[in-house]
Amino acid sequence: MITYEVELAVPETVDADLAGESRTIEVDEDEYVLAAARAADVWLPADCQQGWCTTCAAELLEGEVDHSAAKRYYDVDRRADLVLLCVAKPRSDLRVLTHQQEAMLDHRAANSLPPGRSKR
Amino acid sequence: MSEDKPHASGSVEPGDTSTRVGMEVLRERGLDPEELREKLIDAIGAEFTTYYYYTNLRMHLAGHEDYKEITEDARLEDRAHFELVAPRVYELGGHLPNDIRDFADRASCPDAEVPVPSDDEGGRLRVEDLTAEQVLEVLLEAERCAIRTWSEVCDMTRDVDPRTYDMAQRILQEEIEHEAWFVELLSMERDGEINPAGHFVRGEPGDAPYSTNRRFNDSA
Ligand code: FES
Ligand SMILES: [Fe+2]
Ligand SMILES: [Fe+2]
Repeated sequence: MITYEVELAVPETVDADLAGESRTIEVDEDEYVLAAARAADVWLPADCQQGWCTTCAAELLEGEVDHSAAKRYYDVDRRADLVLLCVAKPRSDLRVLTHQQEAMLDHRAANSLPPGRSKR
Repeated sequence: MSEDKPHASGSVEPGDTSTRVGMEVLRERGLDPEELREKLIDAIGAEFTTYYYYTNLRMHLAGHEDYKEITEDARLEDRAHFELVAPRVYELGGHLPNDIRDFADRASCPDAEVPVPSDDEGGRLRVEDLTAEQVLEVLLEAERCAIRTWSEVCDMTRDVDPRTYDMAQRILQEEIEHEAWFVELLSMERDGEINPAGHFVRGEPGDAPYSTNRRFNDSA
């Protein structure tokens, strides 16, 4: 089993305990980043946990993830470095900027994709 | 959330119908009513789509009449969940999307489609190899999503918005029951394993003992 280091950078502007801080957690290759974060007492936003709703969206600053379990994820998301942490398994060490649902919704809307196009 | 009250609400002038005290009390307590409302639209979008999708999934459980009955309860209760919370969206100054496609698009849980490749040409489902096990798995995962959604709404509203919290916790009670039903059925169907749900049957199909809204009339 390979374990990766995942650095979770929480933006200053969000209403969260870790606002403006970073935490590095260990995530196994077959584990989802979101579940690993919550298990490590880092509470990140999520809803469906099936890679559909985008509540858990984050920006991938560095590294590679496997998204194959996502119910709704598009190539344009990948190209924009937007990931869904609830279904993201690490394939390298990672650095991610958390709390990016608004950015994800804007991005989906700009590409005429759900759910952004229905919420903008 | 209730300790910090970042937004001053000001007072609502007598007779002013352009603002609602029912929303301002939430703002005063640090909950953004618009954010909550959008979350609720997403959540009942999922109730509405699963009501539809369960109708179709249930059609494909021929020969498993017991599974069909349980699915029927879960299906009707999703409609009850939609109807319980829809009024809350309006109280919070919102409305249902005019286009049902928008409603489905923004549903917070995945489309619970019959898990088969569809034949695009004639729009026919290729169900030859479909098993009850596959249908039960879709049902189970849909319930799990619903549990997560309503737990989120409980988190957002706890101690701040008793009305929404009460609705969300009622729905959550039934979603947890639904998960237990499908855990029981899938365990037996797939693994031959007894994994009791521990529940009694509903009095009437889709009773929604915790979440039924006042009906418009008895025939609804
Ligand atoms: S929590 Fe819904 S997409 Fe991740
Ligand atoms: Fe439901
Ligand atoms: Fe349910």
